Amino acid sequence: MLGLIARKEFREFVRDGRMIWAGGLMVVLLITSVLLGWQQQAAVQAERVASQELDYDAWLNQGPRHPHNAADQGMHVFKPSPPLSIIDPGIDPFVGSTIWLQAHRQGETKFRPAQDATGLKRFGNLSPAWIVQVLAPLLIIILGFSAFATEREQGTLRQLLSMGVAGRQLMWGKALALVLALGVLIVPGALLALGALAGGASGDVLLRFALLCLGYALYLGAVIFIVLGVSAMCRHSRTALFVLLALWIGAVLIAPRTIADVATRTFPSPSRVGFDEALSADLDGASEKEWMRNFNVSSAWDPKLPLSQWGKALQVDDHSGYGVLDDHFGRLWDTFERQQKLQEAAGVVAPVVALRAFSMAVSGTDFSHHRHFSNQAEKQRRLLQEVVSHDLIEHADPLGDRHFSYKAGPELWAKVPRFTYDPPGVGFALRKHWLSLAVLIAIFLASLLFARTAVTRRLSA
Amino acid sequence: MLEAVNVTKEFGPNRALNGVSLRVEAGEIYCLLGANGAGKTTLINLFLNFHQPTSGSVWINGRDVASAPIDTKRDVAYIPEQVMLYGMLTGLENLDYFAALATGQRQPKDHLVALLAEAGLPADAVDRRVSNYSKGMRQKVGIAIALAKNARALLLDEPTSGLDPSAANEFSQLLVRAQERGVAILTTTHDLFHAKQTGTRVGIMKRGNLMSELDSADVSHNDLEALYLQHMRD
Ligand SMILES: Nc1ncnc2c1ncn2[C@@H]1O[C@H](COP(=O)(O)OP(=O)(O)OP(=O)(O)O)[C@@H](O)[C@H]1O
Ligand SMILES: [Mg+2]
Repeated sequence: MLGLIARKEFREFVRDGRMIWAGGLMVVLLITSVLLGWQQQAAVQAERVASQELDYDAWLNQGPRHPHNAADQGMHVFKPSPPLSIIDPGIDPFVGSTIWLQAHRQGETKFRPAQDATGLKRFGNLSPAWIVQVLAPLLIIILGFSAFATEREQGTLRQLLSMGVAGRQLMWGKALALVLALGVLIVPGALLALGALAGGASGDVLLRFALLCLGYALYLGAVIFIVLGVSAMCRHSRTALFVLLALWIGAVLIAPRTIADVATRTFPSPSRVGFDEALSADLDGASEKEWMRNFNVSSAWDPKLPLSQWGKALQVDDHSGYGVLDDHFGRLWDTFERQQKLQEAAGVVAPVVALRAFSMAVSGTDFSHHRHFSNQAEKQRRLLQEVVSHDLIEHADPLGDRHFSYKAGPELWAKVPRFTYDPPGVGFALRKHWLSLAVLIAIFLASLLFARTAVTRRLSA
Repeated sequence: MLEAVNVTKEFGPNRALNGVSLRVEAGEIYCLLGANGAGKTTLINLFLNFHQPTSGSVWINGRDVASAPIDTKRDVAYIPEQVMLYGMLTGLENLDYFAALATGQRQPKDHLVALLAEAGLPADAVDRRVSNYSKGMRQKVGIAIALAKNARALLLDEPTSGLDPSAANEFSQLLVRAQERGVAILTTTHDLFHAKQTGTRVGIMKRGNLMSELDSADVSHNDLEALYLQHMRD
């Protein structure tokens, strides 16, 4: 029976042209965006791997020099492009991917603390994720607004009900038709993306892909039930279309920005300048204290410090900063994650917000993953510093006044290992963002309940 | 068997039915006459649960419509004054869809085509989209749908509206054949001649009241007309 109803609905979608023009546009956009994303991801990833190689080669072959000069020049690490960024590039395009690891300061990607770290306000990047998040609901509205309203308007609803069909049966049949239509329109793009991923994809990537499918299915399912519910409630199809378009504009276009504003206002992050100033002040304070304690001089790099202790001083200075850096960056990043959490919860009002958080997280392109990478990069930087100052203490400090005549060679450079980044598994994403998934499930169930109630209440005639 | 027990239906301040009781047994064709706005359609709609009675009850084959609105519909076929169909689908596809919904299973194509022919739809129209049908052609698809349902009771609201005289005549013969199979038929009409010819019983309604009921065998056509006009006058 459901199949029968769905088949008839689907036939109407095709015959009245909605499926062809609206759906066709969707297919073309989706496939184009997957192809573009695929090509871009491959190019970016190849470039990053190559750059990482070149940079490390340059480090290894920098010739004999004073180790601290080498550390000042430092090295670069490149964030591998997550395979699923084909589908959802998340915040990656905005936060940069290269970190300069140099002595004395924690590196950042071209990432500005004052900016919106959750990527929610950024809009209009034509990724497959964006298309399904924003355009697919519009497509469901175009296909579904008339589901009950037009049948009521044209009188076929009575004819149907007089057959002894229950309203709920109609609802499920019509829902199935919308699922089929979306399937026809979205599955090719999804399969193409899967094909793009399958080349050398790890189990983790496939698991992430499956979770993405689940998240999007819950979201689109919720939209389907909302559309059917509204259509059942409205006497006229024009009203249904108007209400649904208003909902779309409100919940998909406007609410995410508003919610992002609320999030940044509730958990304000410091400005770039403010952050830098506070960090510098605390670093200086911590460093001076350590200089006083260890070398009994009132300021860092006091000229009175004998060169025979220069390497040791470097180490002391570095160590004085670690806690401060952890503290400041930790607080800043916690703020971003709190903003993120608030947005996930606000998905109850605007499901797309929850979906976006979930999608970025599962794709590995959200802030949590970025933070994970930044932490690994900082570890590498500290390792580099340790290797250098240790070598200075061992080999340059004993030279006394001739400290700076010391030059290290390839054996020292090779002591700093090649940077390899192990991205976290899907479990990490779920642990951090279970809330968005929970919100999506709740919304799905609530929409289903709404549609059932609307259909039962409003479909007697 | 169709039964209305002391049914009153109010739309706001407007009382469309006022304590109407009637009973249509199996093998009966009950024709409801009455001026525009007398409440005929409202009564039919109560049997389909499109409206719920303000008081009183309606029964189909011994079951209260209010307590089993969906199950009772399985026992009746309904033809409205204007059969509404899906314009994007052909006549055959419409019949296929509604018949499958009504009976719970799809019926073979030959059978459906035969039903359309029996209802009088020209063969060349069968595979054309309904959006290009005339009103009478749509009505014929509605008749085919009712035939496909093969129900024990028929609710007909001016079913021949828009049919040409020969099609209306054929429809009357269809009704008589159904009656002979033991189907209970309740039909509204403005056609006194048809009511007298086809109906086994006739009821005359006026402003929500069932004024009188008579066996059509007991009255001549002229008597019926006189009675009707008298009711309309006072
Ligand atoms: N849905 C409704 N809402 C309000 N009033 C209604 C509704 N349906 C019918 N009525 C009123 O009930 C009364 C009876 O209408 P009904 O359609 O039953 O008449 P009828 O006998 O079928 O007339 P006709 O011969 O024109 O078909 C009318 O006064 C009508 O205005
Ligand atoms: Mg009427």
